[in-house]
Amino acid sequence: MTVMAAYLIRRLWQMVPTLFGVVLLVFFLFKYFGGDPAEILGGLNATPEQIAAIRQQLGLDQTVWVQLGIYFKSILSFDWGKSWATNEAVSSLFASRLPATLTVMLPILILDVLLALPIAMWVAYRRGSLADRTIMVITTVALSISFLVYIIVGQYLFGFQLGWFPVQGWSDSVWTNLATYAPLPVLLAVMVGLAPQTRLYRSFFLDEMGQDYVRTARAKGLTENTVMFKHVLRNAMIPILTNIGLALPGVFVGSFLIEVFFSIPGLGREVLLAVNRSDYPVIQAVTVYLAVITMVINLVVDVLFKVVDPRVVLK
Amino acid sequence: MSAVLQPGASVPLRVEHSEGVWHAAWRRFKSDRVGLFCAIVVVAFLLLIVVAALGGVAKNWQREVGVANAPPTFLGPRPAEAIGVIEVPKGPNVDLSAVDPLAPRYKEWDERAAKFKTEETVKAETLPMGADRLGRDVLSKAIKGTQISVFVGVMAALVATGIGTLLGAFAGFFGGKVGDFLEWLYNVFEAIPGILLIFAFAAVFGRGIGTVVLILGLTGWTGLYRQVRAEFIKHRNREYVRSAEAIGASVWSRIFSHILPNVSHVILVRMSLLVVGFIKAEVILSYLGLGVGIDDVSWGTMLAEAQSELILGYWWQLVAATVFMAAFVTAFSLMADALRDALDPKLRGLE
Amino acid sequence: MLLSIQDLRVAFRMGKVDGVATRADAVKGVSFDIAENRTVALVGESGSGKSVTAMSILNLLPDNAERSGRVLWQGKDLLRTPMAELQKLRGREIACVFQDPMTSLNPVFTVGDQLIEPLVKHMRLGGKAALERAEALLVEVGMPEPKRRLAAYPHELSGGQQQRVMIAMALACEPKLLIADEPTTALDVTIQRQILELIAEIQRKHRMSVLFISHDLGVVGEIADEVLVMRHGLIREQGPVAEIFAAPKDAYTQALLACRPSLQGNPARLMVIDDHIAGKDTHAPAVAKNPNAPVVLEVRSLAKSFWLKQGLFGKREFKAVQGVNFNLRKGHTLGVVGESGSGKTTMGLTLLRLHEPTHGEVIFDGKDLLKLNASERQLMRRRIQIVFQNPYASLNPRFTIGQTLVEPMSIHKIGASADEREQRARTLLGKVGLDGSAFGKYPHEFSGGQRQRIAIARALTLDPEVLVLDEAVSALDVSVQAQVLNLLRDLQDELGLAYVFISHDLAVVRFISDEVLVMKDGVVVEQAPVAQILEAPREEYTRRLLAAIPRGYVPAV
Repeated sequence: MTVMAAYLIRRLWQMVPTLFGVVLLVFFLFKYFGGDPAEILGGLNATPEQIAAIRQQLGLDQTVWVQLGIYFKSILSFDWGKSWATNEAVSSLFASRLPATLTVMLPILILDVLLALPIAMWVAYRRGSLADRTIMVITTVALSISFLVYIIVGQYLFGFQLGWFPVQGWSDSVWTNLATYAPLPVLLAVMVGLAPQTRLYRSFFLDEMGQDYVRTARAKGLTENTVMFKHVLRNAMIPILTNIGLALPGVFVGSFLIEVFFSIPGLGREVLLAVNRSDYPVIQAVTVYLAVITMVINLVVDVLFKVVDPRVVLK
Repeated sequence: MSAVLQPGASVPLRVEHSEGVWHAAWRRFKSDRVGLFCAIVVVAFLLLIVVAALGGVAKNWQREVGVANAPPTFLGPRPAEAIGVIEVPKGPNVDLSAVDPLAPRYKEWDERAAKFKTEETVKAETLPMGADRLGRDVLSKAIKGTQISVFVGVMAALVATGIGTLLGAFAGFFGGKVGDFLEWLYNVFEAIPGILLIFAFAAVFGRGIGTVVLILGLTGWTGLYRQVRAEFIKHRNREYVRSAEAIGASVWSRIFSHILPNVSHVILVRMSLLVVGFIKAEVILSYLGLGVGIDDVSWGTMLAEAQSELILGYWWQLVAATVFMAAFVTAFSLMADALRDALDPKLRGLE
Repeated sequence: MLLSIQDLRVAFRMGKVDGVATRADAVKGVSFDIAENRTVALVGESGSGKSVTAMSILNLLPDNAERSGRVLWQGKDLLRTPMAELQKLRGREIACVFQDPMTSLNPVFTVGDQLIEPLVKHMRLGGKAALERAEALLVEVGMPEPKRRLAAYPHELSGGQQQRVMIAMALACEPKLLIADEPTTALDVTIQRQILELIAEIQRKHRMSVLFISHDLGVVGEIADEVLVMRHGLIREQGPVAEIFAAPKDAYTQALLACRPSLQGNPARLMVIDDHIAGKDTHAPAVAKNPNAPVVLEVRSLAKSFWLKQGLFGKREFKAVQGVNFNLRKGHTLGVVGESGSGKTTMGLTLLRLHEPTHGEVIFDGKDLLKLNASERQLMRRRIQIVFQNPYASLNPRFTIGQTLVEPMSIHKIGASADEREQRARTLLGKVGLDGSAFGKYPHEFSGGQRQRIAIARALTLDPEVLVLDEAVSALDVSVQAQVLNLLRDLQDELGLAYVFISHDLAVVRFISDEVLVMKDGVVVEQAPVAQILEAPREEYTRRLLAAIPRGYVPAV
């Protein structure tokens, strides 16, 4: 068996206990701390008999362990059930909401990285200079203002007053979305995200620039540009890619703030609505879905690591 | 019989206790003017918070002392709106006392009412930073909000730091089964999206300051855990720890007396980042109605109100909340940066 | 004249203290010349400014360095050359080899990629031609399987191989001057010998000049034509190598030469710089040890293995130490010699149960150390202690010296009160040659040699009978090494300590040991009294180790 195959199997095997833990946590959290689902479904005016009937239907009159077993079975058979609020199948809920989320989150991630990289490199090269310190102060101030303020002011200014973008809205076509509805939220989110990314990348670059191989590269007579863009950048990509890998699961759940404010029918907003309505199937499904995505993305990133960093030994 | 001292080793005679890492860091911190200035600003805020908490200032923020949406003082009072007032009919009221069943008692009630003091507060036309929708003083709200938001941020950071440090120390030092279990715990918490955990806890425990502190603390320990664990793994094989083991120091002593002081600077810097993060998280939570209780005010609740006010053109609550928050968080962040720089060079020499 | 350095001064800006910009002077006025086809050696201890001098030629110093003076390369002043022109010189006419090849090579590019960089830039070779030349270079530096190595990454090579790659990179454009900054210091003794011979051979073949920087006069004596001795930023003496070795004029040079433990002679104490400068003669021969002293430590079949993950769920055994046996007598020293990976350090740690042994017995006073329960083990800790190699890592940076010394006593309840413990600590400090005022200070205020003394004092607080010294002097400068070795000898005579002295340096081991264990890859290759090991080594590996030791300048007969 090849090393890679053995590694993959070992990792997949290790995912199981974690997934188990996640499911357990969610199940017990909602069982003991959430409201009684039968009462929720029954609504305010349900009679005791109706509630008892619902309870029996949901299997809530069984012991805890049986319920847990039912829950596991449903997960393993990918039967997420139906949303209690809308009676829509949860899986189709996912399918319809995910694209909206991705249409907003992916551009944000891409733009953040593409903008932060050159700024960070430029600033790191000039460490201690006026430009460096100015940018550091600007990013610090930018970081101290809540995202809420950016959204409120942004919507007011660009949407309401100047009318450059629609304040809210969404359409069915991806291209319309990208052209009309996505730009304002993306712009605001990038503005907010740029500050911490730049600072982080700057510290990565500074770390690399202090390494011995930089001196060797200079001793070989390479120009400063070659040293920075070929040697330093390539090494700095390692922590940068780690960082992107950590941010990826977030892309798939979306930012509920953005989606709520801009009325984007994405997954994040769906989660918020579900929590407010105590819509258990949706919440549980999203949790498990996200846990799986996080673990799979981590695995993919770890494997890709081998490509980026030749020193990595997959254990 | 003893070997000769190195030549030129000037050993001053009576200096018994030389400066440790913290003294040296403090000395270096003092010479960083930006950092010092920010530290003073932060301390000023903290004093303000203490005074506010003790009731010295902004105690009556809930009182509606102003006209609804009164503008700030420097703008001047709003011109009286031309409301289409219905003309008060002139002429005597129709005397209904014959048919009014309550008529005999009016006099008695009037006398009784006169006994109660009613304060006719004159509603102010302008307030230092304006008034909100209900006429409450925005400045008082901002100060009180500072107290609550910062308190939540700091307390939550302490909780998260405590949990993260303890678990990280055990995971890093012991490894093996203990480490595996803690890694599993960490993975479970990491895999569940933060908002979900927060919402779940919030839905369960309800609103309130204590709840928010607990929620943020219980969900925010993972980053610190990772870093502390990495540091402990790095240090546990260092020779000074091996030496401690060789002389017979107990496990407890090795973790807390030996390694922890060498890691404390990392923890301190991380904690300051956590404070900032938690303050911002609390703001968002309060905005969504999941944070502080209904009777409390925080920067988040102020922003929630500000959103609808903005459309009507009343911007002062937004600006007040933003300015207070930006001032504190910026000063705090810059102070933390300076702190980290002050701690760094000395430690670099020791590594 | 190829390179002429005239009154070079280098200072580092250290930031502002109380508003005043401070500077640290590293080089305070250095002048020397390097002619064609000559090997010039720059020798000095750490902090002497030798590396800074070399790095300032090509301006490879950090940003806060300020240079003044003149550095003339074939008539052109390099201090005043614009960066673009300097870059044309670097790697082409003047090339560098650095001390630590692992960090000096870029970890994410293959060896081939890094080798062809100077070729493409300076010689304008195309891709394929450059690769062919790179392969030829690897052959020249003696790299086995050069074609395969071109596609390898630096971390896949051993230290010696990495250094060969660095040398190959330096040779790529046939430079006129090679600056080698401590190129062999980080390598094992036998590899050191190979690299030294390689550099000498290349110098001869290409008629290249070499500026060789080192702290080891022995190494330098073998390959240099001219020697410059630096101390505290100034040149103390310079001259042809024969003169320097045969008739050194400066007191410091003389002291440096005298401090080295040599393979000849068996003095009781090593010469120390101050002794030498003060004119004392300490060549009294050693007093013979009592061969019938009681045995304090008996080790039988000691073995330690580590298990590494392999395949899906399997484990692979890595035998770090296999079958070590010895008897240690009171007042005697067992020297353990080996290169990196030989298992000598693991063996030392296992004696104290800092690693749990896989097999074997360590019998101390009739009791097997490896079978003790927890409370007995705690008692055992008092009797066998350890001093580690790295003086910068073995003391807790956050503890004062006083705290470090008092801690073991508090744990084992030695001394009736805190005052008594403090008194004991101060006495011990005096014993190792440090002032009582060290009590309240922190480790960072002391030099490497002083820290090792403190570590020795700490080990002595518990009154042990056996002391394991794991490369305890390897990280110290030669003169400081001599002081600490003398101290160890004195303490052994006074207190009757038994030592297990682990080192890679045979000359040092020879000075202090009575019996020697030679280890390679976890196995004891040879075990004999020290005189026999040196005069009549039986095993091939022992002979190789002996041959690898730099002997300094040996005049041709």
